[in-house]
Amino acid sequence: MSQTKPLNVEYNYSVVRLFAITTVLWGIVGMVVGVLLAAQLYWPALNFDTPWLTYSRLRPLHTNAVIFAFGTSALFATCYYVVQRTCQVRLFAEKLAMFTFWGWQTVIIAAVITLPMGLSQSKEYAELEWPIDILIAVVWISFAIVFFGTLAKRKTSHIYVANWFYGGFIITVAALHIVNSMVIPVHLGKSYSIYAGAVDAMVQWWYGHNAVGFLLTAGFLGMMYYFVPKQSGRPVYSYRLSIVHFWALIALYIWAGPHHLHYTALPDWTQSLGMVMSVILFVPSWGGMINGVMTLSGAWHKLKTDPILRFLIVSLSFYGMSTFEGPMMAIKSVNALSHYTDWTIGHVHSGALGWVAMISIGAMYHLIPAVYNKDGMYSLKLINTHFWLHTIGVVLYIVAMWISGITQGMMWRAVNTDGTLTYSFVQSLEASMPFYLMRFIGGVFVVAGMLIMAYNVYKTVSSKHTAAQPVAAAA
Amino acid sequence: MTMEFATLHSILTLILFVSFVAFVIWAYSKKRKPDFDEAANLVFDDEPDPKKQHSKRESEHE
Repeated sequence: MSQTKPLNVEYNYSVVRLFAITTVLWGIVGMVVGVLLAAQLYWPALNFDTPWLTYSRLRPLHTNAVIFAFGTSALFATCYYVVQRTCQVRLFAEKLAMFTFWGWQTVIIAAVITLPMGLSQSKEYAELEWPIDILIAVVWISFAIVFFGTLAKRKTSHIYVANWFYGGFIITVAALHIVNSMVIPVHLGKSYSIYAGAVDAMVQWWYGHNAVGFLLTAGFLGMMYYFVPKQSGRPVYSYRLSIVHFWALIALYIWAGPHHLHYTALPDWTQSLGMVMSVILFVPSWGGMINGVMTLSGAWHKLKTDPILRFLIVSLSFYGMSTFEGPMMAIKSVNALSHYTDWTIGHVHSGALGWVAMISIGAMYHLIPAVYNKDGMYSLKLINTHFWLHTIGVVLYIVAMWISGITQGMMWRAVNTDGTLTYSFVQSLEASMPFYLMRFIGGVFVVAGMLIMAYNVYKTVSSKHTAAQPVAAAA
Repeated sequence: MTMEFATLHSILTLILFVSFVAFVIWAYSKKRKPDFDEAANLVFDDEPDPKKQHSKRESEHE
């Protein structure tokens, strides 16, 4: 089993490079907007009485920027990188791949302009109006053509598991986006959903939770299955578990949406189904998490010296934490306490900042030197600094939201003996204020880490030194 | 004869469950192990530059 014959293939890295750089750029933009929002919740005057800067308009800008600009750019970059390398073949339809880059950037710019203007479909994570939705669909279908075209012309007989996750993510996101964005346009900036009432709510959360399940989970699991083995120099702990993980995860996630609609007009049986499916989802989630972490078994010492590996492995522990928390919060009686409180925000950020951002950052630190033909990142020390800033920031953030959220839940449900509410809403808000400050500080830590990353990436990319060239042609 | 939706869905659930169990047995069968070991090592065969090529690793994992 030891063949070391060189591959006769030139990978297309130009589109990977562009997406990698925009990952860092949009990460900073999206997180800075997040920190501004956190500051506004503590110092409300920070909206400067300007409509474009109000919380209501910037909040969707923040979520769109971190999910679709930062996270999805990381997915595009790693997907194009991984599919070429694991199929040992150059990208299919390279011009179309370049189109996906410029098309996606156009979507992001359109979001940056329209969301602060207040143009919105009012569907969470699907706020963008219909002309932008059409562009998203076109770019996404092009993405699918490039990806599956590359798979089709692969030189390997087996399709590596990371590509299964990427493929599942691409197909499902296309279906989710197209179904949830069905609208009747009134004019360029206004449309009405074709769904109404409880059906509209169910379609929205079928979309919303599967955006979490397939974009923010399956796609990043694809990343995990390539970059964790690659960075640790060890094959994945159990390949057979990874296959069971894939099918179990995609079969279950699609049913979990109703847990966003507990105690609403949604039929009770649908709520219970969503709850049961969400609880079962714990099993494949932890199966995947354990598979990733155990890849390091026998090589734990590498965590001490390699901050990139630390990003990847700690991201998995946040993944494990939030996929334990999620099923618990999906239980109706727990949800009665947690829903509409800051606990939800804390849960989302332990997934988004802990899992999604950390695995992406780790993957970028691995991928950027490779696609720019450098021996490694400019400074390992700065990666280590980034790791600690990010970790401290995330922990501050989620601990603040746990305390604030549970406090809110307890105060909102407290009733006096005569049945009246014990606390007014403003009293619960006052109780949350110290934690809003703590969240803001956590956010500042995370952004500071991202700025260090940007500097490190700039120094790496602009350095004149290139990795040792192959000597193959010499003899 | 008409079939109740509930009956239909119960049968479907049963079929899905049985196929999942069959699938797990397939994935964990001894016969598949060499193929899966090779697949797991695919990530190390991707360097066009032979100097950077990692030597293939035998899986020490399960």
